Amino acid sequence: MSFTITCPICGKRDLYEFRFGGEEHGPRPDYQALTPQAWCDYVHRRTHRAGPQQEWWFHRDGCGRWFTVWRDPGTNRETSCSEKRR
Amino acid sequence: MFQPFGRLWKQAPLRSAYDVVIVGGGLHGLATAYYLARNHGINRVAVLEKNHIGYGSAGRNTAIVRANQRTQENIPLYDEGLKMWPQLMDELDFNLMFFNCGNLNLAHSEAALGALRLQVASAQYLGVRSEIVDRQQCKELIPQLNLSEDITYPIFGGMYHPPGGTVRHDALVWALAKGASARGVHIHQQTEVTGITVRRNRVSAVETSRGTIATHRVLNAAGPWSVLVSDMVGVRLPIHVLPIQAMVTEPLKPFLHHVISSGTYHCYAHQSLKGEVVTGAHMDPWISYGTHVTAHYIRHQAEALTELLPCLRGVKFMRQWGGLADMTPDMAPIIDGNDPIEGYYMDCGWGYFGFKSAPITGKYMAQYMATGRRPQILRPFRLQRYEENRLLGEIASPPQYGPWN
Repeated sequence: MSFTITCPICGKRDLYEFRFGGEEHGPRPDYQALTPQAWCDYVHRRTHRAGPQQEWWFHRDGCGRWFTVWRDPGTNRETSCSEKRR
Repeated sequence: MFQPFGRLWKQAPLRSAYDVVIVGGGLHGLATAYYLARNHGINRVAVLEKNHIGYGSAGRNTAIVRANQRTQENIPLYDEGLKMWPQLMDELDFNLMFFNCGNLNLAHSEAALGALRLQVASAQYLGVRSEIVDRQQCKELIPQLNLSEDITYPIFGGMYHPPGGTVRHDALVWALAKGASARGVHIHQQTEVTGITVRRNRVSAVETSRGTIATHRVLNAAGPWSVLVSDMVGVRLPIHVLPIQAMVTEPLKPFLHHVISSGTYHCYAHQSLKGEVVTGAHMDPWISYGTHVTAHYIRHQAEALTELLPCLRGVKFMRQWGGLADMTPDMAPIIDGNDPIEGYYMDCGWGYFGFKSAPITGKYMAQYMATGRRPQILRPFRLQRYEENRLLGEIASPPQYGPWN
């Protein structure tokens, strides 16, 4: 199992150096015409597939950069762009 | 004298139709099946389990039971659940090894003690025994406790909850499976649910790896996999699946007579009836469906335990394992049914509170599924509360992302 995340600045580092920022779930909804359902979707609901997904990570104990990587929570491996979507 | 052990539950053929299909052969699923048959006479029930029963969180938790939660919505359910254990052992005719040793939560600052005061006040208001203890009383409860000022987080005081304790989790799995099976429930292991068919907004069938089962009532009790099961009917859940690790030391003479926990050290421990110190850690703060273990937590637990209980220095860990916690934003479960799909029920999002709540939730869930009417005690746990922004406040911090992040 792989327990590393590749930081765009520092390269491949131990997972415990990072803070997880959740899956990428699109931009904040437009304030105009915002419904409780749309807000709940944005704030709380996630897809959490057991396959590759794009995620936000923060290199807390390193360079301090926020970035996205593709990772598979089913295997805990980082995945390359070519296997992004199954 | 020693007869060969018989099977505790019967193997049954997979029927093409059942009154109720339960997805997940964990404690919540088995308890619901048991009470459907016992209290409501509904025994055309199938419990479908992808792996083997008790494979998931039912057999991976640290077996602690308690009822000193934070909110008035949660406490009554856990309190009733805690009072069930002696009666349940009697009724199931099974030694569940309920050890009523009491739980000691440590506070390491004035602020932490303040938070415990609120919890104690809520508990006492609702008739649950729980009290604030000072650091000297903590030492009286656990003489090996380190009151030194030289540790990372010196002990300031605590909360003692006498009715809590531990229960043997595997025994509960076996007892409920035995009890349910004896009343006619079918337990199908190695049977994976691959889809749920909905016709005119009503559940009509469950697709499995062994064929289709016609049914009008389905319970999603799949624990961490409930998110994926719910996806099958298009209901997105606000659940984050996080891995959590636990480990046991080599067996020692009995010395730890209470469950001890510290939120600040992210550590809880108790001594099992075999003498092993069972200790659990905090969750890994990222989404995962893998039950991996990491060296990070061996070091973390060793540091925390030896600061709190220096007598454990040099003691070896024997085993380490991982499980999955289905966390909701407010650390309270999602228990709902017939909304938005008729016949689709959910009992999930328990995070790490699923073990202690299993029998009592199974009892009320069975009532819910048998009558179609939501029992009063389950009302606070509707899925709709997230859209209404009425979160339950089981954690004190802002609910967008919990303490795991």
